[in-house]
Order: sequence, then C-alpha cells, then structure tokens
Amino acid sequence: MPNYQLINEKMLSVTLANEEVFAKSGAMVGYTGDVAFQRSFLTGAGVQELAMRAVTNEGLAMMKARGKGNVLYAYDGGFVTIVQVQGETLYVESETLLAFDSRLKPGTMFIGNQGGVQGILRGAVSGQGLFTTTLEGTGEAVIISDGNAIGLEVKPDRPVFVDPNAYIGHKGQVSSQIVTDLGWKTMVGQASGESYQVKFTGQGTVYIQASER
Amino acid sequence: MSVIYNPNTLPKNDNLSRFAYSIDVDGPLYIQKGKMVAYYGALKFEMVGTGILDIVVKEAFNAPMYAQDFVCVTGRGKLILGDMGNDISGFDLVDANFTIKATNLLAVPSTLRCQESTLPGYLTLIGSGRLLVSSNGPPHFLEPPCKIDEQAVLGWADCPSPSYRYDYAYVHGIISAVGALSGITRSGEEKQLDFQGKGNVMVQSSELGLAGRGLLAQILRQIGTLEKPQLAEVAQAVARNMKG
Repeated sequence: MPNYQLINEKMLSVTLANEEVFAKSGAMVGYTGDVAFQRSFLTGAGVQELAMRAVTNEGLAMMKARGKGNVLYAYDGGFVTIVQVQGETLYVESETLLAFDSRLKPGTMFIGNQGGVQGILRGAVSGQGLFTTTLEGTGEAVIISDGNAIGLEVKPDRPVFVDPNAYIGHKGQVSSQIVTDLGWKTMVGQASGESYQVKFTGQGTVYIQASER
Repeated sequence: MSVIYNPNTLPKNDNLSRFAYSIDVDGPLYIQKGKMVAYYGALKFEMVGTGILDIVVKEAFNAPMYAQDFVCVTGRGKLILGDMGNDISGFDLVDANFTIKATNLLAVPSTLRCQESTLPGYLTLIGSGRLLVSSNGPPHFLEPPCKIDEQAVLGWADCPSPSYRYDYAYVHGIISAVGALSGITRSGEEKQLDFQGKGNVMVQSSELGLAGRGLLAQILRQIGTLEKPQLAEVAQAVARNMKG
C-alpha cells in the first residue's frame, strides 16, 4: 500500500511500490523513480456515478500516479493533514481532498440524505454546495486546509458545535443539525459568525480549519 | 498522523496551533464576531447589550461604538477561536492599561474594563485578565522611545498615547506637502507614531492588515449577492482606493 508521509506541514510525500495513488490535479510538485501520471475519472465508478459527478460539481479531477518511486504533493500553500479512515466513511468536499488510494472507495453523496432538510440548509449556509464526496473503507486520506486542520472528537454525550465556514469534513456515524443561538434581533443583516452553528452529534470526528474560508 | 482532540485533551487557555486558540470559558467573555470556529459544552452567544447581561456590559464593555463587532459568551465549555489564518497570541494583563487596535482584539474577559481610546480605532483595556490578539505575523514588543509605522502598530501598554512624527524632508518638501494635503501618500515612511515614556509597544511583523486571503474570499463570495447599482458603488470604491 502507498506510504504517506509529511515532509513538512505543507508538503506530502507518497511512496509507491508498483501501486497507484489518486491526487488532486496540479498538486504534484515533483517525483523520483519510475512513475507515470494519468488523468483519472475515478475507476470503479459506474456511468451513473460519472453523470452525478458532472451534474453536482463534486467532480474529482484527479491525477492517477502509478509506478515505483516517490511523489511529492503540495497545493496552493495549504496545510496537509493525513486522516486515518478505519472501516468508516469520510465526508469531505472534493476540493479539500489532496490524495487517497484504492483502499478507499469514493462516492458522491447528497447532503440532504444525511440530516434531511438540515443538511440542505447547512450546504446553503456554508456555501459548500449540497453534494459532498465520500470515501469509505480502511486506509489513509489526505486533506488540505487553510491553516492546520483540527480534529474534534464527537461522542453521544458530547456534541460539538462548529461554525459552518470552518467545517472541512467529518468521519464516522455523525449527524449534523443547524442551530441558531443569537436572538432574532442579531440575525438581521448578519449572515456570518455565531448566528448559525452546526451541531454534530453521534460518534466520530469533525475536522475544522481555523481560517473560516 | 493528525491529533484528534476532545474536551479533555484540548489545551487549557492556550494555542492549539499558530492560528487557533482554545479557551476554557467559565465567566463572561467578549469575542470578536465571526471568530468562533467550534465549541464543546453549554455556551451561549449573545449580542453585546442585549439580554440580561446588560449590567455586566455596563461595567466591562464600555465601548458602544464597537458593541456590534463583539459577541458576549457565557456558560461553561471549551471555545476554539480562529481568525482567518492570522496568528493568535494570548497576553496576561495584571493591573495594567493596554490600548489595542480594535480590529486586532480577538477576545477579552469581562474582568478587564474595555473602553474606547481617544485615538479612533483603538480600545483601551484596564484591569487584569488574559486578552487574545490576532495579527498578521507574530507580534513583537519594543520599549519607548521608538517610532513605528502606523500600519504595523498593534497596541501599547502603560505608556502615554503616541503622537505623529513627520519626516523633516517630508514636512519641508513642497511636493510632499501637496501629497499630505490630498492624502495621497500613506506609505508610513514619512509619518510614524512616536512613543515616549515608559511601557511596551506591540508591533506586528507585517505592514499588511489582517486576513489576507480569508477576508478577500469572504468579500468575493458576498459580491454575488449584490444588485447592479450596488456593484457600481463597490466598483467606484475600489477605483478610489486603487488610486490612493
């Protein structure tokens, strides 16, 4: 299996031994060894999946790297975080996904399916769209963020509240719900900040970035 | 592998990273609006000056001009703050008098009295407690007497308010004088803040204001919601600033 390592907080090294890795287009900064690159429409995905990606803008424009060697990735000065996925599903925006390999099965999901109307509302509030990319299985996925990604644990008795703009993704059995805490007086004309929060409940991890993009 | 935090492993009133800070909330606290990124526990966010907290506000947050820029946090829990990729640092004040640029004040506990400075755009904090400051690049301290570019000054403690010091050549050069009248030149090379007396001056390690890309992204996102006449107004404002 590909070996992921952080060279520093903004650069990722992937070691391949006749294996392949999918990474964000334009993120490759260099490589050593014998590696071939190919534009990829995520293998294994059916025609329906392809159509869905085209329609939903969750198009994973990925480059497949295959061979024996070492590939370096970095993207737009973003901070790189390796996320361990263990028999669960990781939900991230396709834009934040830097790299993953065939151990994880990619998919597209309508956020509305997860949390119903609340999910739709969340997409609208955070401006992140209504569709998100899912990665299922056991392995590593690498994400990029503005500033270090911070993982926050969610347990049934310990929900976490997050600013929708700071949300990157989550993994595990977690459901989300929009809550408003400020009085109606303060909502008028102010759509940013503490007016809306997303409450995550269940069992899993929520990833946030400090920068509220 | 990345660390996953829970309320017990989050730092106590300390930096989570350069860009994020974790606060243990157990008393009223004022934070700049929109800087909360996440929290655990039962926290309540209220506008300054609304609700039952008015009494506290009257004592602690005595800056009506800035009331709409801050939110009052009450309850108990862990609060994580971030400021669009700017550096965040915490400073302990003990019976001190600290004046800070309002845009850089991220959080202040109600144990500190917060009043408007006579210098527009600055807030003065009096008392004891820990305040959070956000800056573009880590802050640096200097001792007066010193002269500092206005754009780089974050605040000052215990020393008298500064005055402007113009460059000699600037004052006496006709061309520059015209520039001063028309407000065209603003580079900071000709005009500095002059600090005297005893105390500390906090300087930012960049002349750039806060929030480079984050703020830009926010503005660009909201531009889509504007009507045509409003867009024209924005364009005019942009053109004006580009000239300066």
